Amino acid sequence: MEGIGFKILGAFLTSILAFSVGMLYGGLRRKITARTQNRVGPPVYQNFIDLMKLQGKTHNIAHGFMGHMAPMWIIIAAMTVLMFIPVLHNGLWFDNLTFKGDLIFLLYMMVFGSLGMALGAGQSGNPNSAIGVTRGLSLMVGYEIPFVLSLVAIMLQFHTTSIQDFMHYQYETGRWLVFENPFAFAAALLSSLGMFRYSPFDIVGAPAELASGPVSEFGGKYLGTMMTGGAVFAFIKLVLLVDLFLGGAGNVEVEGIAGTLLGLGELLLKTFLLYMIPVFIGLVSPRYRTEQAIRFFWKWPTLLGIAAVIWALFHPVQ
Amino acid sequence: MNTLSILLLILLSGSVITYSIDSLNRKLTGITAFIVALVASVYFFATAYNGLAENLQVGGFTLQWGVTPIGMYFLYIVLGLSVLALLYSVKYMEGKARLGYFYGSFLMTVLGMTGVALSRDFISLFIFWEIMTWASFLLLIYNAYYNVKTEGMKYMVFSAIGAYAMLTAIVFIHKYYGTFMIGEAIDKGAFDFMKHAFIPVFFILGFAIKAAVMPFHVWAPPGYSKTPMSFTAVFSGAMSKMGIFGIALILSTFYVLQNFEAYFFTQVLAWLGGITAVMGTIYALIQTDAKRLLAYSSIAQLGYIVVGLSTGTKLGVMAALYLAVMHAVFKGALFMVAGAVEKQAGTTDMTKISGLIRRMPWTFFVALVSIIALAGVPPVGGFVGKWLLYEALITESNNYFLVIVIFFSSTAAFLYAYRFLFGLFLGQEEKETENVKEAPASMLIPMVILALIAIVTGTMPGLIFKPAAEAMQSIGFDNVNWQMSSLSNVWGNMTDLNLIGILIAVVFVLIFLFLTFKGKKNTRYVGTKDISSSGELWKEGENWTFQQDFFKPFERAASPLYKFDMNKIWQDLGDALEAFFGFARKIYTGNGQTYAIFVIAFLAILILFKDYIFG
Repeated sequence: MEGIGFKILGAFLTSILAFSVGMLYGGLRRKITARTQNRVGPPVYQNFIDLMKLQGKTHNIAHGFMGHMAPMWIIIAAMTVLMFIPVLHNGLWFDNLTFKGDLIFLLYMMVFGSLGMALGAGQSGNPNSAIGVTRGLSLMVGYEIPFVLSLVAIMLQFHTTSIQDFMHYQYETGRWLVFENPFAFAAALLSSLGMFRYSPFDIVGAPAELASGPVSEFGGKYLGTMMTGGAVFAFIKLVLLVDLFLGGAGNVEVEGIAGTLLGLGELLLKTFLLYMIPVFIGLVSPRYRTEQAIRFFWKWPTLLGIAAVIWALFHPVQ
Repeated sequence: MNTLSILLLILLSGSVITYSIDSLNRKLTGITAFIVALVASVYFFATAYNGLAENLQVGGFTLQWGVTPIGMYFLYIVLGLSVLALLYSVKYMEGKARLGYFYGSFLMTVLGMTGVALSRDFISLFIFWEIMTWASFLLLIYNAYYNVKTEGMKYMVFSAIGAYAMLTAIVFIHKYYGTFMIGEAIDKGAFDFMKHAFIPVFFILGFAIKAAVMPFHVWAPPGYSKTPMSFTAVFSGAMSKMGIFGIALILSTFYVLQNFEAYFFTQVLAWLGGITAVMGTIYALIQTDAKRLLAYSSIAQLGYIVVGLSTGTKLGVMAALYLAVMHAVFKGALFMVAGAVEKQAGTTDMTKISGLIRRMPWTFFVALVSIIALAGVPPVGGFVGKWLLYEALITESNNYFLVIVIFFSSTAAFLYAYRFLFGLFLGQEEKETENVKEAPASMLIPMVILALIAIVTGTMPGLIFKPAAEAMQSIGFDNVNWQMSSLSNVWGNMTDLNLIGILIAVVFVLIFLFLTFKGKKNTRYVGTKDISSSGELWKEGENWTFQQDFFKPFERAASPLYKFDMNKIWQDLGDALEAFFGFARKIYTGNGQTYAIFVIAFLAILILFKDYIFG
C-alpha cells in the first residue's frame, strides 16, 4: 500500500472530502440561520451553486499582482495544512503526510493563507478591505493566545507535539482529551469562536458595515477560489479540534471499506455537532467592536488556558 | 604577520584610504570601501581556519587574537552583511555630503566588530569594542551633524555605561585571577556566580546594552532610524549580534556550572528578553514611519534571541544562533528596502506614500520575502528559527508562560509586518509617486541576495545548522544533532521541510496555472482607484488608502501595555540625578566658615568611628 500513485489518490480524496464537507456545512449554516429567522432559506447545496456561478463568470477583474496571488496563497495554505492533519485514525486513504509535521508547524502554516489574503486585499485599494484586514489581524492576536495556551497545555501533559500521538493515545486508552484536560478544551473551543468569525466576532467581514471587508474587491474566479479555500479551512479547524480533544474518528474495529465509511460517519457526526456551537452562538449574538472582541479573548479564555497549563502540570500523562 | 593581523590591517588602512580618497574623487569613495571590505572578507575566508591564532606583545600585555568556531560564526554575519551593505551603499549614498567621513567610519566599525569576534583576551576585546562603539556613534550622528546632542546622547550615555561596566569587570578579573586571557579566565571560573556575581552581571550589562535588551533599549529606536539605511542594515543586523555573541560567551559558562544563582539569573534574563520582545512589538505596530517600525521590530527580534540563549538547552541555543543569522538576513534586507524607498520616493512616512508595488516591484519582492521570514511563516527560513525556539521552550525548559509571551509577541508581529508592506507598497497610488523608479541594480543585487538566502534556508536550514553546531560545540555542548532539511525535538517529533517545500511548490504551480490561464483573455486588470466605493463619489486627486490610526482598535484593547514608557523612566532618573547633584553642589558655599565646619566634622567622624573604619 505504498506507492506514489496511491499517495496522490489519497491526497485527492482527502481534498474532495474536505471541500465538499466544508461547502455543505456552510450551506447548512445558511439554512439553519434562515429557519431560526423564520425564512425558508436557500437549499443546503446553495454554496455549490454559488461556486459554480463564480467560476463560470466569463469576465474577471484583477487589481494587480498581489490581488492575483491572494487566492493562490489561501489554497496553498489550505492544501498544505490539510495534508498534515490526520482525518481518520486508521484511514489508509487519508494518511497523507501526517507524520511529517507537528502542531507548531500547523499553527504557522495556517497563518500563511490569511497573510496572502491580507496582502491581496491591501492591493485592491479599497479602504474597507484594509480596515477589515487590520481588524482580522487584531482579532487573531486575541484568539491565538488562549488557543496556544490550550495547545501548550496538552503538549506538556502528553509530552508530544504530534497530532498522531494525541489520536493514538485517545484510541489506546479510550479517554478523550476533553476529559483529560477540560480547561484546555474550553479554551480551544472559545478561541475557535474567533476563528470561525461568526457573530459576535464577525468584525472582519462585518456585513452592512465594511461591505464584506477584505473580499470586497474580489469576484469571479478569484472569489470562487477563495471560497473553496475557506470551505477547506472550515473543515480543517473542525477536524483539528475533533482530533485533539474529541477522540478523533475512525476508531471502530471494522476492516476494509466499511470501516472507513463508518469512520467517516463518526467524523461527520462529531464535526457537525462541534460546528453547531459557533453557529448557534452566532445566531443569537450581536457584533462586538474590535477592541471588545480582543478583550474578550484576553479575559476568560486566557484564564481558562492558564488553568489548563496548571492542570497539565499536576496531571502529567507519560 | 599572519592572516589575522593582515585582515585587521586591510580594514584599518582601508578606512584611512577611503577617508582621504573622498577629497580626491568623490565617486570612488564608496567603491573603494566596497572593494576593501570584499578583499578583506575573501582573503579571510580563503585563508582562515579554526585554531588560527596570533600573539602580540604590547607594553607588557599579551594581546591574543584567534579564530574560534563561534567567532567564525559571527564573522560570517559581520563580513557577509557588511560587504552587501557597502555594495548597496555605493548608489544609496551617491550625492550625499561627507562621504569620506561616512565610509571611513563604516570600515572602522567593521574593523571593530571583526576584532571583537577574533579577540581572545579582554584587553583587545575592550579596545575593539570601543572602536566599534565610537565609529558607530560617528555614523549615528551623520544625519544630525548640527544636532548631535539630542540625537546621539542616549547612545553615547548607554554605551559609556556598558563600557565602564565591562572595564570594571575586566579589572576585577585581573585582580582576582591574574589573567587577561578569556579562555584562562573561564577555566578559573571567573564567571562563576558563587564567587563574584558582579563580574558576569557587569559583562552582560555591557553586552545587553548593545543587544538592546529592555530596559537598556531606549537608544535603539532613534539610533536605528536616524542612521543612513545602508549602515543601519549592519548596525541592526550585525552589530547588535556582537552583544549576542558576548552574552552567548558568558552564558555558556553558566550552562556548565549549573548552580542555582546562575539559573536564577538566566531566568531573569530570559524574562527580560520576553518583555523586550513584547514591548518592541507593540511599539513597532503603532509607528507611522517605516524606519522606526523596523527599529522597534529589531529590538523585539533581539528579545527572541536572548530568550533562546537563556534557555541554555541545545535546541534553545541553536534557535538563538539560527535566529541571529536569520535576523541579520531579513532585517538587513528590510532596512535596505526602507532605504531604497527613501531614496526613490523621498520619504518613508507611511502616511505620505502608498502603492509603490507597481513602481518598485523588485523591492517589493524583497520586502515580501523578508517580511514572511520575519513573521516566521513557512516555507521561508524565519519559520525554522521560530520552530526551534518554541520547541525549546515547550520541551526543554520550565518556562511555560514565557512561551505565551513569545507567542503573543510573534503573533502581534504580523500586525506590524502587514503595516510595513501595506504602508509602503499597497493601497491606492499617490499622484506624487507616479514618477518613482525602481532602485538601481547595485542596490537591488544585495537585497535580492539576502532574500534568496531567506528562501533557500526555508528548505535547507542545515546550511546554517552546520556552522552553528560547530560554534555550539566550541562553547561546551556535545553531540549537537542537525539535519539538512528536517527539524526534530527531544520528544522525537519532527517536521520535514523538504516535503513541505515540495508540497507547496506543487500546489502553487497547479493553482497558479489554473488561476492565470482560466479566462485569461477576459481578465481585466484595473487600477487601484477603480473600486466599489459603496455609493460615494471619488474625486480627482483623492487618496482613500487607510493609513491613519491603523491599529487603533488593538491599541485600545492593549492600552495598559502602552502606559509603560521606558524613556520616561530614564528621563525621570536623569532629572532626579541632576536635582541631587544640584543639591550636593550647594556644599560649596564659598564661605570659609562652612569649609572649616566640614573639616571639623570630618575629624569628629574619624575620631568617633575610628574602630569601625580602621578595624
